Amino acid sequence: MAVEAPPPAISAALTETNVQVSADFRGARIVLYGAVFQPDNRPSDVVVIVRGPEQPVRIARKVRVAGLWLNSRPVVFRGAPGFYMVASNRPLEEISNFGQLRRLGAGVDHLPIDAPDEQRIETRYGVRDVVVSTLGADYYVWRRAVVRLKQAAGLYDEDGRGVRFVDQGLFRAEIALPAGAPTGVYRADILLFQDGKPVSQRVRTLTVEKVGLERTLYLWAHNRPWSYGLAAMAFALAAGWAASAVFRRD
Amino acid sequence: MDIYLPIAEVSVNAPLIVALGLFVGFISGMFGIGGGFLMTPMLVFLGIPPAVAVASMSNHVAASSMSSVIAYGRRRAVDLRMGAVLAVGGIIGAILGVELFRWLRLLGQSELVVAVSYLLFLTIIGGLMLAESLGAILRRRRGQPQPPRRDRRPPWLYGLPLKMRFPRSRLYISVIPPLALGAFVGVLSAIMGVGGGFILVPAMVYLLRMPAGVVVGTSLLQIIVTTALTGVLQAGRNQTVDIVLATLLLAGGIVGAQYGARASQRFRAEELRAVLALIVLFVGLRMGLGLFIAPDEPFVLMNGMHG
Repeated sequence: MAVEAPPPAISAALTETNVQVSADFRGARIVLYGAVFQPDNRPSDVVVIVRGPEQPVRIARKVRVAGLWLNSRPVVFRGAPGFYMVASNRPLEEISNFGQLRRLGAGVDHLPIDAPDEQRIETRYGVRDVVVSTLGADYYVWRRAVVRLKQAAGLYDEDGRGVRFVDQGLFRAEIALPAGAPTGVYRADILLFQDGKPVSQRVRTLTVEKVGLERTLYLWAHNRPWSYGLAAMAFALAAGWAASAVFRRD
Repeated sequence: MDIYLPIAEVSVNAPLIVALGLFVGFISGMFGIGGGFLMTPMLVFLGIPPAVAVASMSNHVAASSMSSVIAYGRRRAVDLRMGAVLAVGGIIGAILGVELFRWLRLLGQSELVVAVSYLLFLTIIGGLMLAESLGAILRRRRGQPQPPRRDRRPPWLYGLPLKMRFPRSRLYISVIPPLALGAFVGVLSAIMGVGGGFILVPAMVYLLRMPAGVVVGTSLLQIIVTTALTGVLQAGRNQTVDIVLATLLLAGGIVGAQYGARASQRFRAEELRAVLALIVLFVGLRMGLGLFIAPDEPFVLMNGMHG
């Protein structure tokens, strides 16, 4: 009587699940490690997707008007994560197909971001309810610019060699958070692919939060902006007055 | 030693920011100006979001003006009544300016207006100052007498209604010109992150014809009231005041200003004005240059306060 082999599975953990943003925060590197259990030793791939809290993106294009370079009207992209990183053991397009990657939102080209304010629904060629972007053919240029600028800020990353197998079934990846990473809850999806299909998934969460004085000041400034403004100004004026008193004795 | 700024949400090198405060403070003490026009562009260059730089400068300028106005007050070199009239104008201007800045940020055009304001006002003021100071230096070299100061005041100053006596300035003029001047500088302080001394002082000398002795002290009074209000309004309306940034700048600025004031006594007034004119011109052109050069990256992110 043959014993049925257990299905392939993946498991993973983060070395740190709570990143504290204090006065000396300069970004953080978090190691994600995990293991693949696959009894039949079929070739498999690992994809790690980390998404930060959603942050709408306002982006403008430089346009030339009468010899001057000015900003166009800003376009707002929604659905964009404030931080996005995808790492895999080999380039994504070798692991799976377009449709599968798009469904999973794996890869910077497959991020589900769009600019709803720029869209309208109309009837074209007799087809009703066609979504048309007023950005027209430039839509993809704008979209690519969002990704490019976020990548330049270290907030988006796609690394086709970011997951490394360190031993049989054992892998690790690194999450590099820049100093400008947004605070909030991050979600890491760790996926096991076989024959281009996800066969096992693990979800891990990571919290980035301000602590100490940074947190106190940030919350004060945003929750009670008027009392913060008055106190900050009173402090500044007092410091100026104190300085003149100190230097008078000199 | 890097420090994370809680409101700007960027990590900066703390000694560098203190050194910047020291440098600008030195220049500010040397020339008797606030130095906001120099500091704000440098902060933006260091990667501070422009809206945070502009707003936090209000706190910095208010503090550094506070530290100098006391010395002027002790010498009775402040016209309180004129300062009050200017400040009323400044309050109106600051409220308008903060709302205007908020509206421009929503339109994505605050960057443009900041650049144009710098280009326009700094090159005009810098150019006028340079011409005037070079003229004075040349006349002194050639041994010519300096032209006597024209005390004839423009007639429109007297034609306007609502006249008021300003005994300390020995003036009897309409309150409309100082009110309008105060309001104009108030708007600039909200948009450019400057105190506005570089416009206020020449305007008080050449337009209002105030005696030179009370000009700087009185302008400082107006600047304190305007920037104090701007700072509170920016914090309340835009949440862009970073007190950690302002404190770091202040630490360097106060010390620098004292040494600058001492150093200034070794130079002639017109030579100082010529050097200041060159600095003002340079900053104005540098800020405005970006409008004419094709950008490397045709897109710009305006996330949150990065507008």
